[in-house]
Amino acid sequence: MVVRADTAPGGARWRLWALGPLLLLIVVVVAFSAWGDSVTDLLGRNPPPADQVDVRRVEFKPGEIRIKVTNPQRDDLTVASVTVDDAIVPFTLDGPATLGRLRSSTIVVPYDWVEDEPIAVGVTSSTGIETVEQIPAAVGTPGPSIGRATGYAAIGFLVGIVPVALGLLWLPSLRRAAPRWLAAFMALTAGLLTFLAVEALSEALQLQSALPAGLGGAGIVLLGVATSWLTLTAISHTLSRRGKSGGGALGGLALATLVAIGIGLHNFGEGLAIGTSFALSELALGSFLIVGFMIHNITEGLGIAAPIADGAKTSVARLATLTLVAGGPAILGAWLGGFITSDVLAVVFFAAAAGAAFEVVTEVVRYVARKAPGGITSPHVLGGFLAGIAVMYITGLVAA
Amino acid sequence: MIGEQAPAVGGPRDLDALLYPPEPLPYRPGRVQEYTLAAVDQEIEIAPGVFFPAWTYNGTVPGPVIRATEGDLLRVHLINGGSHPHTIHFHGIHPANMDGVFEIVQPGGQFTYEFEARPAGMQLYHCHATPLKKHIHKGLYGAFIIDPKKPRPPAQELVMVMNGYDTDGDGSNNFYTVNGRSFYYAKYPITVKRSRLVRVYLANLTEFDLLNSLHLHGEFFRHQPTGTGEHWEYSDTVVQCQGQRGVIEIEFANTGHFMFHAHQSEFAELGWMGFFNVID
Repeated sequence: MVVRADTAPGGARWRLWALGPLLLLIVVVVAFSAWGDSVTDLLGRNPPPADQVDVRRVEFKPGEIRIKVTNPQRDDLTVASVTVDDAIVPFTLDGPATLGRLRSSTIVVPYDWVEDEPIAVGVTSSTGIETVEQIPAAVGTPGPSIGRATGYAAIGFLVGIVPVALGLLWLPSLRRAAPRWLAAFMALTAGLLTFLAVEALSEALQLQSALPAGLGGAGIVLLGVATSWLTLTAISHTLSRRGKSGGGALGGLALATLVAIGIGLHNFGEGLAIGTSFALSELALGSFLIVGFMIHNITEGLGIAAPIADGAKTSVARLATLTLVAGGPAILGAWLGGFITSDVLAVVFFAAAAGAAFEVVTEVVRYVARKAPGGITSPHVLGGFLAGIAVMYITGLVAA
Repeated sequence: MIGEQAPAVGGPRDLDALLYPPEPLPYRPGRVQEYTLAAVDQEIEIAPGVFFPAWTYNGTVPGPVIRATEGDLLRVHLINGGSHPHTIHFHGIHPANMDGVFEIVQPGGQFTYEFEARPAGMQLYHCHATPLKKHIHKGLYGAFIIDPKKPRPPAQELVMVMNGYDTDGDGSNNFYTVNGRSFYYAKYPITVKRSRLVRVYLANLTEFDLLNSLHLHGEFFRHQPTGTGEHWEYSDTVVQCQGQRGVIEIEFANTGHFMFHAHQSEFAELGWMGFFNVID
């Protein structure tokens, strides 16, 4: 085809023409859905569907077991029979018996389960395939209550807000520090954020691999990382344009805010993980674990304090806001994890936390490069960065 | 679990042909009895909504009850309408070339087994093509009753073939039944009369597990192993290895619902449980 020179570029005709490939694609897809079987038949027979359900959540109520199942495969799957400890049990379904792709139902089994003892629930599909979920110990799942909400809030407060607030108390000491030591502490902030980013990324990838294949795999992690990275980049540009630095590297309160946002997203994930694990009886919430998280997170307060240490005095209200931004999300995360539990949400939040932390690292590094006496390769900066990673690693061992 | 609470599939009379054997015939020299068994691949519903791709004789698991009187000439025609080679191997006394081991019947082929029915007792039949484990657990078996020349006392007669189904191919059974459907006789108890003789022809064709058993509640019975000889045992429980069978005679002293089940609790809770409803 010859495109005539007098056709205006961007004319309506050519915009319509761009729809052509899409329309043709629809035609091909429809045709293949109708006759595609004869093409695949040339290759051989498709294997039968695996028919294994995805047991998402098993809850123990008085005299009742509730099993939430999802169909992870392309083909429909029908829940036909249910066993508890290898015995067929009567059940009712809260939802459809035949599940389309990624659809869920809750199986309700009247059952007199034994507290603290191991139990196995089995779900058999119409083709006879049985998926067995072993529960290490049956522990009653209490319903939502004000008491539980307060409990989760208290845990979020302890592991999120308290350590950040305590860390911020280093601010007066930091203000009196020599510039190269301040640079060292900023580098330490970058180090600890890098640690958090890698930790969150690893957590996201790990959770993602446990998701049903239909949910998109590692792509969902990349999407989360990229979205939060780009969002934070946009925020930092806006802040720096507004600030007096005039389009250059971010500094002072703005940078501290970014650090707080990055840490906040991470703490959200941490709260989510604690809440979920506790709700699913996978985690014993001992005081040791809470103390571990507190020690681990106190460094985060230091990270927020460092960027504001060389600037003007910061009001207590501002500091409280920063604490809330960085630590508060732990409470929200614990609530969400404790009451809802969604593996997909957890993946998305950990990925977002990783993206945010990586972005803040670049901002901090830029700041350090500009401010540090002796530049970015000075012993104080390198040492501070490594110390940040080491401190997080060592305090992390306490929480493990 | 009894009645509608029991998770069993089908209507109340679905398994009558398997539960109630044909009437016994008095001994008559020279009689010929003919049966035709078609091996067919058939998907069967063994529990509500659970389908098992079975290999069957005549479309059911277990296959039809074959009954003859000692001394009858039996002619059993096997038509292989399935997708794999099959045979019929009968327990009993017969010539080597009628044993269902070497005469493999290919899909589309047929074969006629011809032999004298002996000895009297509760026998059984099953496919003996290899792999044996697969051909048995897929469902190719059934009860084979040979009545003695001197007839047994009249009774209400029942056939119970114990089996299991490994529906997910992991080498262990997911469901256990008598006569092919889990919890069927829990949903539809077997009605019998008090003080009237009840005779159960019991066989075990469970694959994968070493043993199966029958335990009766609230009553004792006489058990004659293999349905042969003079030895009777008085008990409420009988244990059988795969291929073992026997004749049980019960006279209920009380009315009401009496449970019977495998005394392997696991089997009982995976479907091998039912009730007698004893009435006056």
